[in-house]
Amino acid sequence: MEQLVGLVLLAGELLLTCGAEMYRVEETIERMGRAAGFVQVEGFATPTGLFISLHAPNGRVYTRVRRIRQYHNNLSTIAEVNSLSRAFSEGSMTVDEMKLELERLREDGAPESLTRQLVGGGGAMAFTMIFGGNWFEGLIAGITGAMVLILVSWLGRYPVPRVLQAAIGAIFAATLVMHIADVLPIHRDLTTLGAVMVMTPGVAMTTAIRDLFSGELLSGLSRSADALAVFVAIATGVAVVISLGGR
Amino acid sequence: MLVQALIGFMGAITFAVIYRAPTRQLPYAGMVGALGWIICLTTRERWGEIGGVFVAATAVAFCSEILARRRRQPVLVFLIPGVIPLVPGGPAYLTMLSFLQNDYAEALVLLVSTGLLAGAVAAGIIIASSVSRMYSRAKYVRR
Repeated sequence: MEQLVGLVLLAGELLLTCGAEMYRVEETIERMGRAAGFVQVEGFATPTGLFISLHAPNGRVYTRVRRIRQYHNNLSTIAEVNSLSRAFSEGSMTVDEMKLELERLREDGAPESLTRQLVGGGGAMAFTMIFGGNWFEGLIAGITGAMVLILVSWLGRYPVPRVLQAAIGAIFAATLVMHIADVLPIHRDLTTLGAVMVMTPGVAMTTAIRDLFSGELLSGLSRSADALAVFVAIATGVAVVISLGGR
Repeated sequence: MLVQALIGFMGAITFAVIYRAPTRQLPYAGMVGALGWIICLTTRERWGEIGGVFVAATAVAFCSEILARRRRQPVLVFLIPGVIPLVPGGPAYLTMLSFLQNDYAEALVLLVSTGLLAGAVAAGIIIASSVSRMYSRAKYVRR
């Protein structure tokens, strides 16, 4: 029983740290808890903490609290936990296999790779071109965007707050583009815009909307605030460089 | 138009990589993004910028819900990259520039329009996810 409680808790924790919606976390807990043989399963998920209460058939109640201190964007872990929990509830997976898989996912965390950062630079290129830049400006934005991603993931290894990471990334991007614009004929604003967009808190933004309107007010509001803070930090970083650069 | 579709595809697929979406779902996420961006471009001439973004976001969200069911993936995997090309980054940037240039009248106008554009994306996502939730709840009750 103890082992099963730990399993349910671990699945919930993984989903929360990877930025899943609250209803998915609670549904997964419920599904796994029932499959594990508990008669009543209560889960309460917030972006910063997870509370579960599992009622065993013999009348014992197992209650656990897990504090979530940090989170990262990792959609593939959400997808994997989702399909693992379905396989588990259909009985095609044993408890030990499940435990092994979940622990592997937790070990992996949010894998950083140069490929991710370089491909991510393409996002900056796309954004510059969406807002009307030509392909050359897009290319410069793409290179800058990839460098921003590398910088931000390097900062992520130290206890630098998320908001400060975004601000530093924006300052770096704006400064770099400003100097390139002195030499090459590119539109400074369009290029900077694309390069800083790679730090868009897309996961927080989208889950905030979905949470807010499915009745999860707590998580909806706190994730909106989180996304807004990152946006303001990016804008501030760019604004600092532009006003120091004299315009 | 083909170039624009390609840009939308690239925007969605690269952001899917940034948010570490499962590798096998990347092409689908890219296609949702391309679809959204093309719809946004074609409808915004007739219905204005906000209307275009709203229609595109609704289409993207419905597509994501359908794809999620068919490919047995969380909706977020397709939804987040799909709406990325619709995020009003440009108006937000211009808002900040106007504030810096002490042009507050222009800045407030831009701020409101950025807010409305973001609201249009949110409204599209809400409509699709509410409808699909109603549908899945109806199916659940019947069983």
